[in-house]
Amino acid sequence: MNWRNETVFVTGATGFIGGRVCERLMQAGVPKVRALVHGMHRAARIARMPVELCLGDLQEPESLRQALGDAKVVIHCGLGLPSTIVRGTENMLAVAHAAGVKRFIHVSTAAIYGITPPPGSESEDAPLRWTGDPYCDNKAAAEKVVLRYGKRGLPVVILRPSIVWGPYSAWSTRLIDDLRAGQVAFIEGGRGACNTTYVDNLIDAMVLGLEDDRGLNQTFFITDGERVSWGDFIRAHMALMEPPPEVGEISRDEIEASRGRRSGLLLGSIKAAAQVARSREFRQMLMQIPLTERVMKKAWHWVHSLPPEKRERLRRRLGVQRRAAKSPDAKFIPDAVTVATQSTTVFFSIEKARKVLGYEPRVGFAEGMKRVEQWLRYAAYL
Amino acid sequence: MKEPIRLAILGCGAITRSEHIPAVNAYPGVQLLALVDTDVSRANELIQSHGMSCQAFADYREVLGQVDAVINALPNHLHVSSNMDCLRAGRHVLCEKPLAITAAEARSCTEFAEEKKLVLAVGMNRRFAASHSLLKLVLDEGLLGSIQSYDFQYGVAFDWRSASGFYFDRTKAGGGALVDFGVHMLDSVIDWFGPVTLFDYQDDDWGSGIEANLLLDVKHAGRFGDIPGHLRISRTFALKNRIQVRGTAASAEISVHDPEVVVIHSAIGGAPVSQMLRLGKFPGGSSYWRQLDNFVHCIANRSKPEVDGWQAVRVLELIENCYDHKGRIAEPWAESGAEIGTVNGGVRK
Repeated sequence: MNWRNETVFVTGATGFIGGRVCERLMQAGVPKVRALVHGMHRAARIARMPVELCLGDLQEPESLRQALGDAKVVIHCGLGLPSTIVRGTENMLAVAHAAGVKRFIHVSTAAIYGITPPPGSESEDAPLRWTGDPYCDNKAAAEKVVLRYGKRGLPVVILRPSIVWGPYSAWSTRLIDDLRAGQVAFIEGGRGACNTTYVDNLIDAMVLGLEDDRGLNQTFFITDGERVSWGDFIRAHMALMEPPPEVGEISRDEIEASRGRRSGLLLGSIKAAAQVARSREFRQMLMQIPLTERVMKKAWHWVHSLPPEKRERLRRRLGVQRRAAKSPDAKFIPDAVTVATQSTTVFFSIEKARKVLGYEPRVGFAEGMKRVEQWLRYAAYL
Repeated sequence: MKEPIRLAILGCGAITRSEHIPAVNAYPGVQLLALVDTDVSRANELIQSHGMSCQAFADYREVLGQVDAVINALPNHLHVSSNMDCLRAGRHVLCEKPLAITAAEARSCTEFAEEKKLVLAVGMNRRFAASHSLLKLVLDEGLLGSIQSYDFQYGVAFDWRSASGFYFDRTKAGGGALVDFGVHMLDSVIDWFGPVTLFDYQDDDWGSGIEANLLLDVKHAGRFGDIPGHLRISRTFALKNRIQVRGTAASAEISVHDPEVVVIHSAIGGAPVSQMLRLGKFPGGSSYWRQLDNFVHCIANRSKPEVDGWQAVRVLELIENCYDHKGRIAEPWAESGAEIGTVNGGVRK
């Protein structure tokens, strides 16, 4: 379809992928971009562009109707909490269908096959499987809803990127933070398949999905098409750092053994819960509740008003270890999600995207790293 | 005992909630009579949650007859018209920064307040941090030797939950990061080092006028001679969030995380040493509390506030100049290969 004179509606526009989508659409001279914004406070990156910031919530169809306006092209990068992914996607599909949208690009994920996709999931015809992980399972369920709307006549294309990386991506910023804190290990020699998907390659695939009718109602893996391992990905970031960080190797057996050693079921569960509570994602979710935000802010001020020795005592009693407090010879044990993410042996095939859409990744790993480095330096991470 | 100043707060957004109300409630010399917001439920919610006895109004003009002064925390684009209404009614005004969207508006507001002999103070709360006056002392007493230059960085992943979201609308906010964080920083450095005579400004505005990042090199001509300074502001990522002033004998640093302290870095016998300086006698409370205290004293004594309209005018003039002569920050990671592929080339084989 000729989409270049259409208004494009982008969900998840304040996120890493959606933000870059808005930039690329601006660079392409698309006349009008409407961006769905859930929290205006997150919109600093896209507010630099003449995109229309449309307040709305994937959980509220009426707000989506208003936000969509006259747009006939939807690029759905929006997510929300794992438990609301399916409903949010269905709401967006229903509103788009009713509004006569001419193309709906759904950004799915290769993680529909789990955090550790098993051998056999290299190509798109592998049957969907339930893994018990809320994100993976809900993204898989969302794909089914998208295809259902495809059958009803909404022109949909589903893209399944894997590790989407590039400037602004937490895959790089968090890795740098973790490397600095000594919280990275080469799991099984770093041999796991990373399946990098440079964000601009993914956006190229979106554009092909818009332009070519052959992709309709179909699903495509999208990666950089290079066999980049997690070891490659980590080492490329280490090479940017001064002084170079030290990263040890760890086997899955050692990880298993350390988890077994750690504690019994009850204590283990408490510690695991504490770990979740301290995680960035959990805190971000928590801070979305207005009362929690206020309480947390007060608590933060209170903790920081304490003299250093009292603060340290409190930290110890709450089990909050300073990262540097780790003894120098202790081996760093990665958390379960990291181990699972970096343990797949599957490199997803992009042959179908090549054949049907004419997709060819333009940004290879070396070029991608060059751009990431430029941005990391600019953004004062390095 | 003197009668307390009767006060109304206009606008019940984030800054009123988090700073002005706690400051007013902790200050004995004022009596808060009214909270005003076009969304009156927001005002009522604040009154209830803080257990206050004041009244909620949707229109500030209804309360001007009952109060002596107002704190104006409305969105930026409403500052001038509401300030003028308040001044016309004979009320003193403490206006949140920026005083106006344009320097010309700020000037007319300031002139009108002078004509009416009313106090018009501008909400530059950072001036009321102990480190601000402490650094002034350090500079004046020559503790750093001859001043060479400074580097001022402030960056956070933007997360300000304004009730109206006006800050991403150019006509309502007047600009991006420069207007938002920059007014504070420019106000401080002009107060320390004197007026800016030269500047080179770049930002990352892609056409909306709401920049998220900026780089500003300036030169001051003040009592320390020509001082070059570099300012960097980001709304998309964290920076070092501190000012570092370099002198021939030592350097001074203020971190935004501890605005009550100035750290002096120097050397003794070749070994690097750091000293933490605090003001021995300094009023407690938040910087907003001290700002309110200054406002109340100025009303009582009809004196000039710490930050008056003219100081806001000179900062706004500089900001306007920056926007008028801006360059674009290079973003090579975003620009290379950014063209969208077409059927005839680009992404297609």
